Amino acid sequence: MGGARKRARPTADARGNALMDQDTAATMPTTRIRKPLIPFNVGLVLPAQLTMLAVVLAPTLIAIYLSVTDWQPTAGVPWYRAEIVWFWNFYDLWYDERYINALWRTLLVVVVAVVCELAIAIGLALLFLDEWPWRKLAVSVLILPMMIVPVDAANAFFMLFNDRGPINHLIGMAIGRSFEFSWLSDPNWALAPIVLCEIWQWTPLMFLLMLTGFTNLLQNQIRAAIVLGASRVRIFFRIMLPLLMPVIAVALLIRGIETFKIFDAVYILTRGGPGASTETISMFMYNGAFVYFRIGYIAAAALLVLVVVVSICLALSRPLKRHHG
Amino acid sequence: MTALRRLAVALAMLISFFPIYWLVSTSFKPHDEWATFPPVWLTERPTLQNYRIVFAPELAREVAATEAGSLDYKVSASAWKAFADSAIISTAATILSVLFGTLAAYSISRYRTGGENYPFQFLTIRMFPPIAVVVPMVVVFSFVRLSDTYPGLIIAYTAFTLPFSIWMIRSFIDEVPEDLESAAMIYGMGPMKAFLTVTLPLVKGGILATALFVFILNWSEFLFALTLTQGKIVTVTVQVANYVSASSGKLYGVQAAMGTVSTLPVILFGYLIQKHLVRGLSFGAIKR
Repeated sequence: MGGARKRARPTADARGNALMDQDTAATMPTTRIRKPLIPFNVGLVLPAQLTMLAVVLAPTLIAIYLSVTDWQPTAGVPWYRAEIVWFWNFYDLWYDERYINALWRTLLVVVVAVVCELAIAIGLALLFLDEWPWRKLAVSVLILPMMIVPVDAANAFFMLFNDRGPINHLIGMAIGRSFEFSWLSDPNWALAPIVLCEIWQWTPLMFLLMLTGFTNLLQNQIRAAIVLGASRVRIFFRIMLPLLMPVIAVALLIRGIETFKIFDAVYILTRGGPGASTETISMFMYNGAFVYFRIGYIAAAALLVLVVVVSICLALSRPLKRHHG
Repeated sequence: MTALRRLAVALAMLISFFPIYWLVSTSFKPHDEWATFPPVWLTERPTLQNYRIVFAPELAREVAATEAGSLDYKVSASAWKAFADSAIISTAATILSVLFGTLAAYSISRYRTGGENYPFQFLTIRMFPPIAVVVPMVVVFSFVRLSDTYPGLIIAYTAFTLPFSIWMIRSFIDEVPEDLESAAMIYGMGPMKAFLTVTLPLVKGGILATALFVFILNWSEFLFALTLTQGKIVTVTVQVANYVSASSGKLYGVQAAMGTVSTLPVILFGYLIQKHLVRGLSFGAIKR
């Protein structure tokens, strides 16, 4: 890929200069070709870049300003004239148990959900390695959950985990007596339906990623191992899994980042309640900004999360980069 | 294929399908079967009343008056408005995102614009929680009078799907040999014309797949639609959430009807681009 592509290209700019060199100004005095203000290739990325700057950079700068104020929209002062409180927001955040708990809870959700997704996905993908009748149809049914709108998935789980919903009924049938439990209003258990909803919806993506990874593996090594008499378990752990590592790394990175942002399911299922027992970091910031109207405080919380997430991601994005080569 | 494996696949398919079955079947249940114990697995008295309440509240009231035991629920507005708003915003944002994305992807793929690390800065936007940007964005948008307008949401959606557009289309353009364009340029075409007449027709399918993919993301988006509007603009996801919360969970049938209809277009598009989903959701990193 690399070297062959890096050669001079007849850009508009280069051709313009070439014309000038031949001193064509004498033959066509009125149509002087001037060097364009911005190079052709930079002009092409401008619309995308400007949109990004408008939607990311401007709000981030304002967030930095807001984070040192105690602005609340209910206070009756416009945001640009809010009182400056300097670093008190960050000081308060450090001792805000609700914020710290939300952070840890989010990390817990990420680890549990992503690990479960990966384990189930690898197990399922192994079942789909060889051809069998209805295989294509089975894949299509299995990936149905990732096709539907996340809010609707949460809505379905809201009904499933209802006091008198089918989940309780199934548990009742399994243990042989009637079972009634309010999943969503129990502080200790309300997180379970949220995590299950997340796992249910996104295991299919993991499954597709793993299936693609397995089918792209070079078959020669595996065939050689079979000929040499290696057991199936040994082949899986010593050959397939190590070869699959780059794909697993990309999958973990992508799902980890996406799960960290979890909001839709929490909002639909519990709104962070009961109390603050299911508040993830996104839900904490939503409640702070749009229920308690503490914009300045939440801007500070958002900045802290931004710094942490971006630095973690830049460190972790290396596998993605390597994969693109 | 052993019996055990067959059982495992069947179980996985059942688990994948069941919540969706429950959503759809609840949408056809009369209101006295929504939350009875034991739950009704398949209704014997299917009704369209839930869909009437979603789409034609007036008609639903008439039916309720004539039919015994039918629910008369006062919904302020029909869901048509939500579907129209979602269609307008998602379509406009998709066109902008794919247009900007194609131009940028071409530049990055063919000119290495900005160097090796440049395309990664577009990915940062997908990394942090959108709520972190939303809080200052709400302040900015109300300041420049963009909150609760179509352009406001369209700009937000365009920016947040650009990373997908750029990376996905770039992976398609990378697959087309650059020599084709060079050949066209030797015959006197400018670089843009060479791209438009030679490469673009070859990646047409990829760009269409990207557009459908971005449309799905826009249609499913919830957080921006919830926070950047105050009721004048309503997207389908916000409408679903309104049914869930306004009724505090008592209108299962209506929620289910709205949920079923709002997710149908997305499922259709999803299966249309099934073989590109992996590429899209992994930013072009993993291909078939």
